[in-house]
Amino acid sequence: MTQLRNVAVVGFAQAPIVAHDPHRMANEMLYPVVREALAQCGVERDAIDYQTAGSADYIDGRPFGFVAALDVMGTWPPRQDSHLEMDAAFAAHYAWIRMQAGECDTAMVVGYGKVSEGQPERVLNLQLDPYYLAPLGLGPLSTAALQASAYMARSGATDADFAACAARNRAAAARNPHAQVRDPAPAAALQQTPWAVEPLRQGYVAPVGESAVCLILAAEGRAEAMCRAPAWIHGVDQRAELQSLGARDLSRSASATLAAEKALAMAGLGSAADVDLVELSAATPAEEMILRESLRLPAQGDGRPAINPSGGAIAGNPIMMTGLIRLGEAFRQLSGGAGEAAVPNARRAIAHAAQGHCLQQNLWFVLGRERRWS
Amino acid sequence: MKRPVAVVGVGQTKHSARRAEVNIAGLVREAVDRALLDAGLEHGDIDAVVIGKAPDMLEGVMQPEQFLIGAIGGHLKPVVRIHTAGSVGATTALAGVTHVASGLFDRVLVIAFEKQSEGNAMWALSPNMPFMPPLVAGAGGYFAPYVRAYIARSGAPAHIGPMTAANARANAGRNEYAHLTEPMTVEDVLESPVLWDPIRYLETCPSSDGAVAMVLASAEQAKKGPRTPAWVKGGASYAEAMWVPGRDQVNPLAGRTCAKHVYDQAGITDPWNQIDTAEIYVPFAWFEAMWLENLGFRPLGEGWKAVERGDVKMGAHLPINPSGGVLCTNPIGASGMLRLAEAALQVMGRAGAHQVEGAKTALGHAYGGGAQYFAMWVVGSEL
Repeated sequence: MTQLRNVAVVGFAQAPIVAHDPHRMANEMLYPVVREALAQCGVERDAIDYQTAGSADYIDGRPFGFVAALDVMGTWPPRQDSHLEMDAAFAAHYAWIRMQAGECDTAMVVGYGKVSEGQPERVLNLQLDPYYLAPLGLGPLSTAALQASAYMARSGATDADFAACAARNRAAAARNPHAQVRDPAPAAALQQTPWAVEPLRQGYVAPVGESAVCLILAAEGRAEAMCRAPAWIHGVDQRAELQSLGARDLSRSASATLAAEKALAMAGLGSAADVDLVELSAATPAEEMILRESLRLPAQGDGRPAINPSGGAIAGNPIMMTGLIRLGEAFRQLSGGAGEAAVPNARRAIAHAAQGHCLQQNLWFVLGRERRWS
Repeated sequence: MKRPVAVVGVGQTKHSARRAEVNIAGLVREAVDRALLDAGLEHGDIDAVVIGKAPDMLEGVMQPEQFLIGAIGGHLKPVVRIHTAGSVGATTALAGVTHVASGLFDRVLVIAFEKQSEGNAMWALSPNMPFMPPLVAGAGGYFAPYVRAYIARSGAPAHIGPMTAANARANAGRNEYAHLTEPMTVEDVLESPVLWDPIRYLETCPSSDGAVAMVLASAEQAKKGPRTPAWVKGGASYAEAMWVPGRDQVNPLAGRTCAKHVYDQAGITDPWNQIDTAEIYVPFAWFEAMWLENLGFRPLGEGWKAVERGDVKMGAHLPINPSGGVLCTNPIGASGMLRLAEAALQVMGRAGAHQVEGAKTALGHAYGGGAQYFAMWVVGSEL
């Protein structure tokens, strides 16, 4: 194994997740967030060596949507840049790799997109294999429902279990000022909500949401000056798997399991039970339970580690940003910025990002308040 | 870079207007299989995959890498998808370089593709910006004013673009993978219709179906391979904002900055004399003269003179685009990586009938957006 550098999250700003901001374009939503993240770090734009973004043209409804963000990101004079057509958390991972290569010491990572301008069930249909799957008319909700069914069949989980999971997330979200769904509801009430797509009820999944996020990363030597309490990256890994819904066991996520093992091993942890909190990009209760299994944590229940103290993706799921928000939430927890949602004495956290249908690609960050490598 | 990175395998498809006999996955797989075969490796030997393509609207598939995971051998591997407009193929390869240089990955597969026959490039390249009148004129309509500005500034005569176009076609005739290979004269180009003043039909890149892949490796792994590798001497990708007052679209600062960064890494102080051949991104013929200046090969205002003297032809001082370049082959998302891959083939001495004799140092270059994104590498035959 190569010698790794200590890299930390040192700043994070986020527009509150809302159903729809009719007055601002994506880049207008992004601008104040970029400024806020820089201000948190007490630096101007010149202090950032490298910039990267995560977004998707089809969310923007136009080609080259990301070009508009260049101005907002302060791309003058010209900056070292790449854009990933992925959840912005993957851009953060790539920025971390660049730091390991010695190509930069500081990085700005932004995520944006207004999925609310379109119909996600139709737009994200186009993410499926265009020859075999997309013509079936499936969208992310219907494929998630297939996965939820597969999970129920294997594990014996019930509608009541899903309701309990959603209720826990919503209760947590009530303490998170950035969450979209902030009204707690008892499991029994959620179980009365209509089917979104059976076996997923409307109360179990986040409505469409939009936001804009900016996260700042810095390597050891720079991070300490930019942040009073940086969240150091101890381990990270991401894996993809085949899309074909018939070629994989939808009740599990092989890619999430493998990536979690690798990230925990890099962090020097024996198990996910050694962390204080976990932030999951789980858009449905079934996804949460599958991801808990990937971490070898019990499928249900709360306690230590706390699962989704922010309310998770079930309380706000702005596509292409959901994963980066998880990383930002983990940073808030470790740096003392989580407010009412704070997990007491949080010293280690896990943040997860996913993209594609049915948890096709998964990324895990393991973070801690102490530096990992000496 | 923390440690040296080498190109150990290159594969590309035959490019044409319509590869009707393969679907998107089949097209991509063709390039991937050739790159792995070239490197003497199998999918199991690859630690990570980096894939790039231009706007998803070209094929109408959102994030197509998701359905291509099987075709690219990405199952249970880290997979990264890059999109930086026309420069994407080059940025993708450079992201692969970063992966290897980090020490975290020893062998990385990089892939770029476009199957433009699945859609309509003019539509897909006509962004509808909020609060702006839609141009709906594709990339040619967007770049024609920049070309006019270059001509006005430099006083270049009207035959420069046509000379570049005719030379590119002569080069493509020696490239077995090129899309457009029929020879044409400067007169043929001048007689072709004007599409976007002053850009003529025969000074315009085609829409191609095609893919390219490379295997990048650490020095230790590269030395095990069957090939003499191409060593990455320097590489970088830069972007600049769109709406900066005074931004120079004819000679963009991002391009100059990127070139300087790459030359500094590669120890190049005099690119005109230290680089043996260059594959540069020329989708419309006039950009060759423009980029000769932007890349520091020729002084400001004199790029066109090198074209006129024939300095950029095969066998001359600095052969530009020996493969025929983007003017003859343009699977847009792959076009940038093709430039980098062709540069690598040149310094490996494996460019076939379009080999530049004795090429030891080569530049591969791409640009994109509204001349805002730049990505390039310098490769060499020696570590």
